[in-house]
Amino acid sequence: MIQKEVTLLNRLGLHVRPAAQFTKIAGRYKSDVFLVRDGMRVNAKSIMGVMMLAAGKGSKLIIECIGEDEAPLLNELVQLVENKFHED
Amino acid sequence: MKISPPKPTVSHPLYTGGELVLRGIPASPGISIGRVHLLVPETPVVQPRKIAPGEVPGELVKFEQALTATAAAIERSKDRALSVAGIAAAKIFDAHLLILDDVVFQDDVRARVTREQFCVDYIVNDVLGHAIDVMDKTEGELFRERAADIRDVRNRLLRFISGKGDVMPEAPAEPVVLVAHDLSPTDTLHLDRHLIEAIAADTGGLTSHTAILARSLDIPAVVGVTDLSWRVKAGDQIVLNGNSGKVIVHPSESTLEEYRAKQQRYRAFVSSLENLKDLPAQTADGHEVQLWGNIELPYEAESVLGHGGTGVGLFRSEFMFLTRETVPTENEQFDTYDRAAEILAPRPLVIRTFDLGGDKLHGSINLKEEKNPFLGYRAIRVSLTRRDLFRAQLRAILRASSRGNVRIMFPFISGLEELREAKAVVAEASAELDRLRIPHDPQLKIGIMVEIPSAVVIADHLAEESDFFSIGTNDLTQYTVAADRGNDMVSNYYRSFHPAVLRLIQQTIRAGHKAKIPVAICGEFGANPVAAPLLLGLGIDEISTNATAIPEIKKTIRTLSMADCRKIATRALRMKTAAEIQTYLSGELKSRLADLPIWFT
Repeated sequence: MIQKEVTLLNRLGLHVRPAAQFTKIAGRYKSDVFLVRDGMRVNAKSIMGVMMLAAGKGSKLIIECIGEDEAPLLNELVQLVENKFHED
Repeated sequence: MKISPPKPTVSHPLYTGGELVLRGIPASPGISIGRVHLLVPETPVVQPRKIAPGEVPGELVKFEQALTATAAAIERSKDRALSVAGIAAAKIFDAHLLILDDVVFQDDVRARVTREQFCVDYIVNDVLGHAIDVMDKTEGELFRERAADIRDVRNRLLRFISGKGDVMPEAPAEPVVLVAHDLSPTDTLHLDRHLIEAIAADTGGLTSHTAILARSLDIPAVVGVTDLSWRVKAGDQIVLNGNSGKVIVHPSESTLEEYRAKQQRYRAFVSSLENLKDLPAQTADGHEVQLWGNIELPYEAESVLGHGGTGVGLFRSEFMFLTRETVPTENEQFDTYDRAAEILAPRPLVIRTFDLGGDKLHGSINLKEEKNPFLGYRAIRVSLTRRDLFRAQLRAILRASSRGNVRIMFPFISGLEELREAKAVVAEASAELDRLRIPHDPQLKIGIMVEIPSAVVIADHLAEESDFFSIGTNDLTQYTVAADRGNDMVSNYYRSFHPAVLRLIQQTIRAGHKAKIPVAICGEFGANPVAAPLLLGLGIDEISTNATAIPEIKKTIRTLSMADCRKIATRALRMKTAAEIQTYLSGELKSRLADLPIWFT
């Protein structure tokens, strides 16, 4: 298992569109991936799970990846967050 | 289905007998007087029915069939939303499809039905109910609205599982004012426009689904009226003013009389707008200006024409970049521009080259975090360093110009250097097309947005090398008064009626006219009827605004005389503060045009 903490920089946080991008990437990989925020842990392959975190701009999230392709998955998700989901 | 409305925030006496005046957010204009039809939220009651192991496969099949049927139903709603209410409304249903398609949710339901051996509706309700509960309790309004989306999807899915199909809430038999705690997008979209006079909801803001849909369906609406659904009962008389946000329960006879008169005036006003559609935007003494629309998608050009606009003064081409992760290709861009040009031909289509940066970032253009993005790498500055993207866009625009009605506009010009450089790239792209014998308009007009104070100061020089000016008042105001227009902390400094902003507009128009080029305005200021006499008096040639604002502005212009406008402008320009100017202009307009909706408060 590998993990990394990220900070959401996009204006609207993990609302529908960014959450969809997140789950779309997560769905392409074999590894399991979870998002942790303030003790709440959700499956990042579920758009409802991701939205349930209600993570707004500035929230800190831990991305956890577990499985054979965990490294590229984590990398791609971190990039997505750092690129502010190509929006704003 | 059992009825279990949400709890009120505080307890209210249901009815005290007197007139009760409540205030909410005016979400969709119009005045309505009617009887309350209370829409009680539908909370499906699903019994935890145990099933035999042999029933599991049957339950799973039911689930798969309901998923397919619900997806199809959402697609139908999306089509309906697109045709009756536009793209923003359709996007709501895109989100519903994403929720329905959630693989974790679906797998969870299948696994639990198999393992726990309960009927599938109970499991679906349990899984989605949990998500709704969690999101209902979150702080951001944006996320709470997502709970409403999940609720809508759940209710639809459960209806299909139970075999009821896509049944909509029971429609009232006579015209009524619909009062609800909250309305789901599906509810709102399927309302019968002829029976629903108006909508009032306890929840929601200007950007809530109810508000967006009500506006697009042309139903008066007030949202965010705290606990309204708890303070009224079905059949109560109610007055709703979608222009001011006022909701009056149990109106007195005199209030009723007052609002009947207001309603009549408002209806007369709206129908007078309808008659204006094919008339020119001409003052009473015969001075004509052009009223154009601002658009982001080609089909919106139809809406501009439908509202009586005579062209598109601002096509925001960056929209194509912002709605996707990769940059659009030259051919994709060509198709888009060509479609809009075709709809409008021979009327003009002004395409603004992509205005990215500031608050509009695009990942694939590798825009870095900047300390002051609004003073940074944006618009023409990005174009000039990303020549590959810029040239592709210019070629696409040039190719679309063969009908002769396409114009190019550069955003964020601060000096002659970038205007000359950008025009050189147009010349190169045009030469390339010539070599390839691809037709395009050799006379294509090239203009600039005037939105940076430095551009105003040297407007005389810029006018010599531009075919037209378009004043972007939103940015011009922000840069002139140094107040970020998205920053609440300084919003009281962001004043479009600031005398400095007005002088800059005046200076730009003068410089343009001295060089014999037309000057347009394409910011929100142009959509404000209060500003119209001033802009006309200063000599503006074209006003480009949201399509829906066109009829009202046209009505305003047709009521004014140019001689009056000149006097008003001269007087306003002598005043020293924004507040003084705004009060003066409002007074002048009100005395001439007493029935503008902005006065229906």
